[in-house]
Amino acid sequence: MPMKICAVLRVVPDLVEEIEIEETEIVPFAYIANERDEHAVEEALILKEKAGGSVDVLGVVDEDTASDVDEPLAMAYAKGADNLIKAILSRKTFRRYEVAKGLAEFLKDKGYDVIFTGIQAIDAFAGTLGGMLARCMNLPYIGGVVEVDVQNGTLVVKKELGGGLLGEYRVSTPAILGVVSAERPLKFVPFAKLKKAMKEANIDEVDIEVPEIEGIDVLRYYEPPKPEITLLEGDPEELAEKLVEVLKEVSVL
Amino acid sequence: MNVLVFAEVVENEIQEITYELVGKAKQLGDVTTLVVGNADVSNINSDVIQVDAGEPLPWHYKIVEKVFEKLKPSAILFGNTLTSIDIAAQFAAQLDLPMATMVTDISAKDDGFVATSLVYGGKVLVDLALKSPAVFVVNRGSFPAEEGKGSVGNVEKLSLEELGVSDGIEFVGYIKPEVEDVDISKMDIVVSVGRGIGDEANIELAEELAEVLGGVVAGSRPVIDSGWLPKTRQVGRSGKTVTGKLYLALGISGATEHVEGVKAKNVIAINIDRNAPIFRISRCGVVADVLELVPVLIEKIREAKG
Repeated sequence: MPMKICAVLRVVPDLVEEIEIEETEIVPFAYIANERDEHAVEEALILKEKAGGSVDVLGVVDEDTASDVDEPLAMAYAKGADNLIKAILSRKTFRRYEVAKGLAEFLKDKGYDVIFTGIQAIDAFAGTLGGMLARCMNLPYIGGVVEVDVQNGTLVVKKELGGGLLGEYRVSTPAILGVVSAERPLKFVPFAKLKKAMKEANIDEVDIEVPEIEGIDVLRYYEPPKPEITLLEGDPEELAEKLVEVLKEVSVL
Repeated sequence: MNVLVFAEVVENEIQEITYELVGKAKQLGDVTTLVVGNADVSNINSDVIQVDAGEPLPWHYKIVEKVFEKLKPSAILFGNTLTSIDIAAQFAAQLDLPMATMVTDISAKDDGFVATSLVYGGKVLVDLALKSPAVFVVNRGSFPAEEGKGSVGNVEKLSLEELGVSDGIEFVGYIKPEVEDVDISKMDIVVSVGRGIGDEANIELAEELAEVLGGVVAGSRPVIDSGWLPKTRQVGRSGKTVTGKLYLALGISGATEHVEGVKAKNVIAINIDRNAPIFRISRCGVVADVLELVPVLIEKIREAKG
């Protein structure tokens, strides 16, 4: 049963780089693809391999991050995505429910059998997209997904439950799946192939009207307390000697 | 005020985080705990509504909705777990309620609440103002479990039929973890690698360090996702909890999902990023490049052991 598949791809601040924490906002140095969404794209491509069909990747950005998703979208194209769409939100918002409402308007008549999202993003402190999108579209949702198969037209989904335990579920389509990790490692794309994809890939753009929903506001952002320990720094020789002392203190040596 | 706690149940057992939530909820008001399934509820220190609906499923947001209509709580608390987050997000969206996720603290203020969330991989705290009623998805370990434990109050049993909800997603069964080569949760010394290890080839370095220390190698999610170590070696919310004598974290940033699985007596962390959250749970923290330090450390340990 060929499937019409969509995968949502967002960008988030790159935590490897510095982030500036101001009271009213977070100012990142750079944005990267949300890791869980990269896994959602990968799982979408795996499902296409299994069931046939097509994968559209929906890059969700705002005005400030609009160009940051170009490379992750091209990466998806290089891996086998069929169509790339850039959904530009009409305004920046931390409220996932507002994003879900806006996206639902766009997605509702597209006829997707499965919509994949990453289970969570590092900046998701006011809701999670997958479950909220499901309610806005009146579709079933299951998160924590690590594997998807199709049996007799029904999705058979494996979900992480913690501690290594998995659950298996049957999910009728159309449905929204929140992916925690794809069933295989992310496919490596050589730089030359990515460059080629960036040139060739056609990205459609759509504007998404984000409604305003009251009920939650940011009071302030701030840094967590510093660790109580003194951090050791120095040359490797000196540090290794200090660590050996610590290992003796805790009776490991 | 009325507060509703959604119990975390796995394989028909109430999980510890439920008691943490109940303890916090009791500071906020009168608590009712909603338990889906037939788990033993006798230790929950609150009133209980128990719904005979098998294992918790994502569509059970409909059950929470029915109980919400009945009790009209001001706050609804869920654990930040793979089961409850599915239900919480759908419940909040269905009822247009404000929702705070990755929550580490909640207090009542004026007509609503102030919640604190730990975000950006544990590098940023954010204080949020929420109108009542509000939904909170609380990180494991944020509150002590003791106050949530005790003798259960009134237990009301309800069936799915009485609640008038219907099925959506069907549960087929559990898949138990594979039989492991090594059970990292039972090991005394665990050398764990994160993204900072850089490359699959460098896992060998961690293995050598584990060997001289008499321990085993484990990893955080990015390492497992990359296929560099088997799933059975994953530490954190989705994987195992380590409880031994030493957890030596190499290049692990210390995101919330990871540190939930670190209950070892001593944590030593080596990370190039001096702001890495892993240092907050460490007894000893070293700011260094793992690949430069570990070979020297292996040598020094060998010397010390003679």
